Amino acid sequence: MAVTDQVAGEGGGKPLMSIGMRRMINHAAIFLTLIALWEFGSRIGWLDPLFYPRPTAILESFWRIYVTQANVWHHLYVSLGLVFIGFAAGSILGVGLGALVGFNPVVRRFLQPYVIVLEATPRIAVAPLLIAALGFGAPPKIAIIMLVCFFAPFINTLSGVVNVNEEKLELFRSMGASKMQTLRKLVLPEAVPVIMAGERLALTAALSGVLVAEFILRDQGIGALILTYTRNLNMASAFACIFTLTIIGFLIFKGMEVLDHRIAFWNHSDATDRMSEKRARAWGNLTGGRNV
Amino acid sequence: MSYMKSLVASTALAAMLAPGALVAQDLDAVRMINPLPRSTVFYPLVVGEAMGYFEEEGVVVELLPSDTSIPYVAFVQNGQADLAMLDATETLNAVIAGTNINTVYEVMQNAPESVAVAATSDATSMADLVGTTVGLVSDRDRAFLQAALDAEGHSIDDVQTVVLGESGPTLAAAVRDGSVSGLVGSINDWAGLEGAGIQVKLITPEELLASPANTFAMNVDMIEERRESIEGFLRAWSKGMYVSVNHPDVVETMLRAAVPEEWENEAAGISLLNGVIGMNVSTTPRAGDLQTEVWSNIQPRLLSSGAIEREVDPADFLNDTYIDAANDFDRAEVDAEAEAWRAENM
Repeated sequence: MAVTDQVAGEGGGKPLMSIGMRRMINHAAIFLTLIALWEFGSRIGWLDPLFYPRPTAILESFWRIYVTQANVWHHLYVSLGLVFIGFAAGSILGVGLGALVGFNPVVRRFLQPYVIVLEATPRIAVAPLLIAALGFGAPPKIAIIMLVCFFAPFINTLSGVVNVNEEKLELFRSMGASKMQTLRKLVLPEAVPVIMAGERLALTAALSGVLVAEFILRDQGIGALILTYTRNLNMASAFACIFTLTIIGFLIFKGMEVLDHRIAFWNHSDATDRMSEKRARAWGNLTGGRNV
Repeated sequence: MSYMKSLVASTALAAMLAPGALVAQDLDAVRMINPLPRSTVFYPLVVGEAMGYFEEEGVVVELLPSDTSIPYVAFVQNGQADLAMLDATETLNAVIAGTNINTVYEVMQNAPESVAVAATSDATSMADLVGTTVGLVSDRDRAFLQAALDAEGHSIDDVQTVVLGESGPTLAAAVRDGSVSGLVGSINDWAGLEGAGIQVKLITPEELLASPANTFAMNVDMIEERRESIEGFLRAWSKGMYVSVNHPDVVETMLRAAVPEEWENEAAGISLLNGVIGMNVSTTPRAGDLQTEVWSNIQPRLLSSGAIEREVDPADFLNDTYIDAANDFDRAEVDAEAEAWRAENM
């Protein structure tokens, strides 16, 4: 055995720790070592406290902004509300337009170049124009997030719809499948996993979008709070806010993975295996274990 | 299906955040554009809200803090804001550009901007900065530096400038490490530095201190149309300002509750409040009054430093039509209300 992936117990070879658990412990050990080095480096003056506050100070800030002072909740509520509405609007537009452009070659010919040019335009440069056009408050922020979220679903939907396997398409045609049948049984199953990958990118990008929006329109939200903290040189609290966003970004990414497993389950062997097992069990219950 | 449900739920959640959704039906929203969200720097707003003064006047303040490349005055012109908080140079340049605005109230009659050097620096005047690199917190501070150099017979060309941005660590490191000889910023920047243990000393020329710093400007066409609401807004602002005259501890308690993020560093919070009270409390007998003479006096200096293209007659843009109404309140009553607030909340 090249690699020992299990720890032998007293019983002689009984696995006590799964590979996943072992990996998690390794990651935790590396993480804690880095944090300890950071703390040590800050305390002995290797790291500039202006830029890198001590991890223990950041922990204190977490406690303060979430529990004793509890001022972060309102800003989080505002930012996450914007993230989800901007993401929803950008996704719907991206997927809808992507499908329209993908299914209709004429629309594709006329619309695609404009969309690509728009994608090449830096979103942050457009932000002041959006504010001038839409005013203040939530609408321009949602528009900025929407712009950030639009392209990944659009490109992926377009690519998913256009790049359907030609041989399979020919097979469907030769068997006389209707357009609706081709869409339901071939195009969507092939495109949905690609679209979901775009959605995952879009939702993660929405977090960056809300920060850009709140750095410009700084009335409320986690971006505005980070600005206030950095301006006041309260870096421990600024880091606590930034780490909050990291955790939220990670949770969003994982959440989208779960959603992807549920919606595009046929694209994941573990999900199809589980489904096969479930069906086999159900069939076994029905037939009393007899093979039919 | 669950995906769609989550989308619908998030849409409903965000719809609740739409501006005005939480505004009571009978209150008129006064939209004010300025650089900062609710802050200790402009405490009359926070105090006015805590005391219920704006509500009493039938208005609710919709703050539009933004850092956009589009001049604030444009938002007053296009009707997206009722009031813009402008400094003297912005006001004069807007008038020179032919925008249809009037200055209706002076929020700060002492410039919050200043030129600072590290406490350990040998520099004691603007002359000591000649030939060195001076940091600017934002590009807007360039005009102030021009004026400060001009006041002592120098020009902006005599120094190198670098815009450092608002990030506290960058400013602090620049001052601490000596990568800039001086820094042009405002009182909240110095409070942040002092809170982090970096002491600075101010070398701003005396004649620049008395300058209308932040003022409320509005579209001339809206002055009559919005009279009732803007008068109410300014009266509530003046009352909020007045509370700090006799009850700074009450103001401090209100700020600690409203903007706790500015008070996590105790030293920085106190330093900031002590500094801004002097900025916000009007030096004129009437709160927020317009000082024609001061506006005239600052212009030659701004002109010679290149901050403005020509001088403007203050009568062309100063409009004190709201000032009487903004001061139409009983100061003893405000004192009593502040005492009552103290008894209830402290």
